[in-house]
Amino acid sequence: MTPLILRKGFKIPLTGTPDITAIRLPEPETVAVPAADIPYIRPKILVKEGDSVKKGTALFSDKRNRSVLYLSPGAGVVKKILFGPRRKLIEIIISMDRENGDDAVNFDVLTRENLKTAPRSTIVKHLQNGGLWQGFRQFPSKDTAADEHVPPMIIVSLNGNDPVSPFPEVILEKELDYFEYGLDLLRQLTRRVIVTCRQGSFDSLKGAKTFVTHTLPDMYPSWDPGVVLYKLKQSVEENQSWCVSAEHLILMAKLLLNGEYPVKRVITVTRSDDKIPHIIARQGSPVKDLIQKMDSSGVITTGRFNGRSVDPRFHLGFFENTLNLLHGGDEEEMFGFLMPGLSKPTVSKTFLSCLSLSPKDLDCNMHGEERACINCGYCTKICPVDLFPSFIMKALQSDDIEGALNLGLLDCVRCGLCSFTCPSKIELTKHLSDEMDAHFKDKE
Amino acid sequence: MNPIKKFLDSTEKYFTGNGKLKNLEPLFDATKTFFFLPSPKIKQIPFVRDSLDLKRYMSFVILALLPVVFFGMYNTGYQSGLASGETYTVLKCFLTGARYVVPIILVTYAAGFFWETLFASIRGHKISEGFLVTGLLFPLTLPATIPLWQVALGISFGVVIGKEIFGGTGRNFLNPALTGRAFLYFSYPVSISGDIWIIGNTFADGVTGATALSIIAPEGEKITAVLSDSGFSLYNLFFGFVPGSIGETSAFLCLAGAGFLIITRIANFRIIIGGILGLIITSTLFFLLPDGSESWLNAGPLYHLCAGGFLFGISFMATDPVSAPGTNAGRWIFGFLIGFLTIVIRLANPAYVEGIMLAILLMNVFAPSLDHIVLKITASKRIPNV
Repeated sequence: MTPLILRKGFKIPLTGTPDITAIRLPEPETVAVPAADIPYIRPKILVKEGDSVKKGTALFSDKRNRSVLYLSPGAGVVKKILFGPRRKLIEIIISMDRENGDDAVNFDVLTRENLKTAPRSTIVKHLQNGGLWQGFRQFPSKDTAADEHVPPMIIVSLNGNDPVSPFPEVILEKELDYFEYGLDLLRQLTRRVIVTCRQGSFDSLKGAKTFVTHTLPDMYPSWDPGVVLYKLKQSVEENQSWCVSAEHLILMAKLLLNGEYPVKRVITVTRSDDKIPHIIARQGSPVKDLIQKMDSSGVITTGRFNGRSVDPRFHLGFFENTLNLLHGGDEEEMFGFLMPGLSKPTVSKTFLSCLSLSPKDLDCNMHGEERACINCGYCTKICPVDLFPSFIMKALQSDDIEGALNLGLLDCVRCGLCSFTCPSKIELTKHLSDEMDAHFKDKE
Repeated sequence: MNPIKKFLDSTEKYFTGNGKLKNLEPLFDATKTFFFLPSPKIKQIPFVRDSLDLKRYMSFVILALLPVVFFGMYNTGYQSGLASGETYTVLKCFLTGARYVVPIILVTYAAGFFWETLFASIRGHKISEGFLVTGLLFPLTLPATIPLWQVALGISFGVVIGKEIFGGTGRNFLNPALTGRAFLYFSYPVSISGDIWIIGNTFADGVTGATALSIIAPEGEKITAVLSDSGFSLYNLFFGFVPGSIGETSAFLCLAGAGFLIITRIANFRIIIGGILGLIITSTLFFLLPDGSESWLNAGPLYHLCAGGFLFGISFMATDPVSAPGTNAGRWIFGFLIGFLTIVIRLANPAYVEGIMLAILLMNVFAPSLDHIVLKITASKRIPNV
């Protein structure tokens, strides 16, 4: 186990840390597979409204690679195929069949012994049919891994995308065997397997400690696989490494060992004034069931820095396991720019709150208006992958994509900290993220 | 409901949409957001934002400048008292100074905000907070006796030519306050040159006096001894009881302001420390040269540090982030070269006794190049990812 050293990131402790205990959510009336959380996907819908589906029936595939399937997390009837503007698929909703229980599709089993000798193509086929191949994401775009590509390393991260995503000890509880099988599976796909964990979670891991290869300091987003890759990579080829979350790896192991599409997910819901236990729920559960009560002025996100904002009517996606309930603060504050600010969350040193270490509460307000960049360098000071976000933004504004790439644009992990810290309230993360997306689509 | 809020809400209709005063909308908006910090809900990632905004950022520079402003008022009166041979009380010093300094500040803000509002309403953007700082920095670089029409002219040049024609705050490559001062310096050298005017008892005329930097010792005498004899002891220079531009005299208060800005991370310490290092090293080198004991060549680093406007410039002007480099290595070089050039201009160029203004403006021009070189080097060390 090697500790990786990082100095830049978001170090403020946050309120609303979930409780370590776990409760089970009652079976929901509807489940869904959202497409809105899947990067770059061009969905090909395989079912019609009114079709009855089993647990594990494919609902849609990706037109770019039709063997990548997204499966139904429950048995029942396709209730609605929900489209957004420009007929963009938002989610496919299944109303659960409560009487007949979980009627499941059977998949091929790959035992521990067979795994050692199974050819790579078989493993890929099994995972693609079982709807879990997309758990592997390929850098630099974090798109679905290309099945013919042998990655130089695979990074398994035990922590999620948000500072208070589910704790690894809860995810791994009673699942260690599966996790170990998962790591064996990865060794069939790559030469180098990295397992990362943030220091705070590592200390409370029990049996899983031995699997961890690298620990990371307790500041967002040091445990992001992109940051880990940036710290570890030695050569250009390693830019095409893969990453997978520990939870998805366990799901893959369950699929291959049990021959059934696994749907048990661990979810955290965070509210600033509350300590909500972890929730064990079916994949694709409705947001409204998970959050219980909601403050109308706030927003619900699946990661306050880098998730999407979700409506309570929608369902949680394949890649999501965190819900932050952010409340709205005062829209206007009298002489806000002169107040000492005893409880204001800030990474700057301009509020007295920077002297205290107590957990801070982040609300979903802008705290200012957009202005021109004044070159203050706050974004550079916080970027975990040592980029110069403001200079990259200026290069992009003048259409100098080559310049931006040379400055390391594709190393950006979209952690959102540059936008977070900018005193001019410039949407740096959005600028950079959009340009990266455009660049990847161009290359395709 | 808050009465100010009520008033703003009730008058809003005249300034927005098709209201009678819709051309003044930026001014209304600036007033409104001055009282009530806007904080709309966020629409995209990240869904949380830091509490620091540009208004607070800029207000902190003003906060750091306030002691300098008040001391500037006091010292203006104090010097006037000295010149007329009377001993003024602290209050009288302060009030005498305020009668000269306050109008200069007011004229600066009035003229500057006129241009800011004009450009903002034509371009249809909000008034940036940057001018709050520029409008206070500019008066502090002027002598108290400057005619007010020159103040208005200078700040107009600084705002329009130094900033707005490039696109406004954030896009200027020169410090606007210094641009305005440089304009006055070269256009009206009589009112604003090495010989600073001290305000006299009668408000119409002044008494000329030399600033510390324009003193040359007679043959065979040491510069430091002569400086002390003419009231420029190191103590006076450090605490600022000497004639000079309104804000530049007190090294102590400039250092205090710099310390405050460094602690709050508003100013970048690399520029300030780099600049002081550059000045100390260069002036020590000149000090070690033989000859020149009667001129400032031989004054040594402490005198160079405390005399003139160096500390004011390096603390408040050079640290203007817009016109300074945005990379750390660039900032060190930028600061160091400002210190170096200040001494070189002071000592090697007989035409200008003070060099900080020209040093900063010159380095402002080079700041983008410094950034460019640093970025090139940093980028070449990354593992390429294209």
